[in-house]
Amino acid sequence: MELSWEIILMQVIMGLALGAIYVLLASGLSIIFGLLDVLNFAHGTFYMLGAYATFVAISLCGNFWVGIIAAVVIVSLIGALFEMTLLKRLYGTDQIYPLLMCFGLSIFLPDIIKMIFGLVGKVVDYPSLLQGATFVDNLILPKYRIFLVVLMAVVLLALYLFMKKTSIGMIIRAATRDRLMVNCLGINVSRVWTVGFMLGVGLAALAGAVAAPMVQTIPNMGDEMTIEAFVVVVIGGLGSLGGAALGGLILGQVVSFVSLLAPDWSNVSIFLTMALILVLRPRGLFGEEGRD
Amino acid sequence: MNAKKQTNEVAAYKPHSWQTALEFRAMWAVLALGIVLPFLVSKPLATEIMIYALFALAFNLLLGHTGMISFGHAGYLGVGSYAGAMVVFYGGVGVWVSLLAAMAGGALVAAVVGLLAVKRKGAYFAMISLAIAQMLYFLALSPFKRWTEGEDSLKLPPLSVDFPFHLNLSDQTQLYFFVFVIVALAVLAQWRLLNSPFGHALKGIRENEDRIRACGFNITRIKFLSIIYSGLFSGLAGGLLAIYLGAASVTTLFWMTSGVVVMQTVLGGTHTFMGPFIGTMVFLYLRNNISNYTDRWEMWVGAMFMALILLFPEGIWGTVMQKIGERRRPSAS
Amino acid sequence: MKRFLVLTMLAGLCALAFASAAPAAPPADIGWEFPLSGPYGFYAEEMKRGVDMAVDEWNAKGGVLGKPVKVLIRDSELKADVALRRMKEFVDSGIPIIGGNLGGGISMVINQWANKNKVLYMSTCHNSLGQGSDWGYYGFTTGIKSYMTGAALADFAFEKLGKKWMVIAADYRWGHDQVAAFLVKSKAAGGEFVGAIYTPIGTRDFSAYVPQILAKKPDFLVLSVFGSDLVAAIKQFGELGLSQRVKLALPKTAMPIMKECGSAYNENVYGAVTWYWTLYKKYPNAKPFVDAYMKKFNRPPDADTDSGYVGAQTLFMAMEKAGTRTDVAKIIPALENLKWDLNQGPEHFRKCDHVRTQTVVILQGRGAKAKGWDLATVIAEVPPSKTMLPCDVDRADSVYGPIRNKLPGK
Repeated sequence: MELSWEIILMQVIMGLALGAIYVLLASGLSIIFGLLDVLNFAHGTFYMLGAYATFVAISLCGNFWVGIIAAVVIVSLIGALFEMTLLKRLYGTDQIYPLLMCFGLSIFLPDIIKMIFGLVGKVVDYPSLLQGATFVDNLILPKYRIFLVVLMAVVLLALYLFMKKTSIGMIIRAATRDRLMVNCLGINVSRVWTVGFMLGVGLAALAGAVAAPMVQTIPNMGDEMTIEAFVVVVIGGLGSLGGAALGGLILGQVVSFVSLLAPDWSNVSIFLTMALILVLRPRGLFGEEGRD
Repeated sequence: MNAKKQTNEVAAYKPHSWQTALEFRAMWAVLALGIVLPFLVSKPLATEIMIYALFALAFNLLLGHTGMISFGHAGYLGVGSYAGAMVVFYGGVGVWVSLLAAMAGGALVAAVVGLLAVKRKGAYFAMISLAIAQMLYFLALSPFKRWTEGEDSLKLPPLSVDFPFHLNLSDQTQLYFFVFVIVALAVLAQWRLLNSPFGHALKGIRENEDRIRACGFNITRIKFLSIIYSGLFSGLAGGLLAIYLGAASVTTLFWMTSGVVVMQTVLGGTHTFMGPFIGTMVFLYLRNNISNYTDRWEMWVGAMFMALILLFPEGIWGTVMQKIGERRRPSAS
Repeated sequence: MKRFLVLTMLAGLCALAFASAAPAAPPADIGWEFPLSGPYGFYAEEMKRGVDMAVDEWNAKGGVLGKPVKVLIRDSELKADVALRRMKEFVDSGIPIIGGNLGGGISMVINQWANKNKVLYMSTCHNSLGQGSDWGYYGFTTGIKSYMTGAALADFAFEKLGKKWMVIAADYRWGHDQVAAFLVKSKAAGGEFVGAIYTPIGTRDFSAYVPQILAKKPDFLVLSVFGSDLVAAIKQFGELGLSQRVKLALPKTAMPIMKECGSAYNENVYGAVTWYWTLYKKYPNAKPFVDAYMKKFNRPPDADTDSGYVGAQTLFMAMEKAGTRTDVAKIIPALENLKWDLNQGPEHFRKCDHVRTQTVVILQGRGAKAKGWDLATVIAEVPPSKTMLPCDVDRADSVYGPIRNKLPGK
């Protein structure tokens, strides 16, 4: 199969769009881990909730954009509820307990969704503005994929500004480094954690919301996303937001090109990439000391 | 060499606590229960309970006794299962060689994980082990399909044991007792291991790694050995699984298998010896029966698990031991 | 206090489970299992409903041989080990006949075990029972032999859709069966094969393949994947403009797939199923079946319902004919000689390989015109004479085997 520059360019674009989903998921996971020291094993479940919430929101209001925003808000609130009622009680105990709580949630919630929405997947259509593709000679520029890339850039920029320029962002960064100190300064760390968790699952929900038109929207759709998100975070370095973003972009390209050149290795490629990077940089790309 | 001499010195002072005594009795009680188990529940379920209980004990070697969270134990189980099955399928060997191959397979994967991740703590170790196991799953599913048969499972011919006496493993009762004896021996071996100087060192690592390091122990080596042992016993469970099923299937490698063994272990109590065994019995039993009532059994299992984490984090056996402990010494916690 | 309450509740649940656990209660006549939890829950549920409908029908008439029939249905969780354990438990408790399953791989594991232990097994899914060394005297199937849907669709495609073709296939036995079937038919029909791509099960993103497919400009693309992969592929091909330019041929499709793809499942999408509900207009015997299902569940039944239904029905019919509910040695010959006319005209099991002589139905999508559950139009029916290979050929796997083992592009 000949690799014309058009095919390569298209693969890069598809890889960026793939990477966008990874980046959204991994950023959320990284924030939660960095701030709360919790490996959110239910991250994929919130991704799924994002997709379903989008479906519900669009059914109610008919507009894709409103639907996505509503979905992210709804799922963030669900996340806050979960964190405040169940997860919070397990902080400070053995690191495994919050992890297991999230794991339990990841088994519990999909079945609830099955009961509410049934076994047939839901249809979320592409917004009319972004349907189809622009064709330039042999080059296909799918509008929705380009939207994903733009969205990712916007979200990353927003996250950066949020973390660096707002006071809440500063508190979150501080609490990530030294929660005791932040507490001593009179700030309610507990609330910071809830906000952090909401932000994290909100990003996961956004990933699910924008993925909904492209994949089958079923209750189990998030199961494998959790692991892939973890791979990205490990590649980037646990606790590093920038690492998660870079890791997501790298992985998107890897999967895109492996799918093209050796399809039966496409699923394995993410893990091989992780193994390779860990051999070269045992803490991941931007992993920090002491964040083991 | 230094580490060994030191562990021996530590072991010279051997505290024989009431917990050890209680666990010892519990172990024999459970094994005795195992003799009659196939008559209480169905024989296939009893066989599965034995196999997965061994797996859970192997898993807890790392979690409860060394303090390392592994989310990739499916890798050891699965590779053990495939190793055992492949030597029979491609090599025509007997059951005993198959089990040895299974143990070797599990230990091999453990060695790889150990080399990549033994120095990592907590989260990293969990993630790396998970990723390796999932990678093995995808490898078995697609690129290595011509050896593993992928989705179709590697199916074995009818098996039998010829030494020391003949057993027809297609007979469900004989199969159960074959599995039971092997598991019982493995449990006893683990007991010896955990009550040896090595076992005490593991406990020290779990309680306070820095202090143990300060005493001059080679932490990395001990941890690495612990991972290998865990992989070895998990591989054995995998080999038994392949014999029981008559096939090696990719589901053993799927990450959910790792998740389930974590649940079973925590359900029983990770800070105990017999906890994982008891947890597996209860978990498999419940899961089997809840699904007779509803297809949505995962919801119930998930909910119960979350409740368990919140209210009884020590698990069934762990809480029981805790209560007994409180009764014995009401002043201490 | 709270802990005590939860503890009591848990203990109570355990006691309840214990009390009701024993399968030592009178064993049923047939033990079925389907992957009711897990990603294929919909299809499993359909099969289960089909079985239940057959049971209800017979019990309304007085049962089999004068006594009501009883079946046990369990969840196999789409896992080989759970599936095997369920079957073993059935047999352990005295049930002589087992049935069900979904997923060729698991089905074959069960079939092998059933034959080893001389237990009658009625499979209800697409599989390769009856091919090569996987055949066993104790195995029957009301599902279909995997290659048959591919062969049927290929027949139709080379006649009506064009000659130049490409394939994307899931990288496992079922996917390969379809590719082999198409390759054979292609040679016979003068087709032009331009490429094959093999994707692992669980592929979510097919966008990577669109550029190469468009570059090769085939008349139709065979999309030999199923489940989530198929839905993702169709949605994405719609998004990326592929399904407007290239026709899609799906060797296996189903109602939920069509529904979930929405308008992307348009008139350019052709799929093969073993049965479709609008066929009741042609086969009046199917009308009560469709009506009863509609009344109970507010939507029409799918092909898998038919598989489960016919599976149970034929077993009951054979029991009546053989005069026994438990003597498998007599029931099997009765099954072999059985002829029935239920939902798709006259059918029987081929004696040499125990496979149902099923007609394959070709459906054309309706895209935006689809309303409710009227999702596709039946445009062709391909009889088994055009798709089933002679038994000795199948047993030796001499037609598809060699091709399958040396697939192009692998």
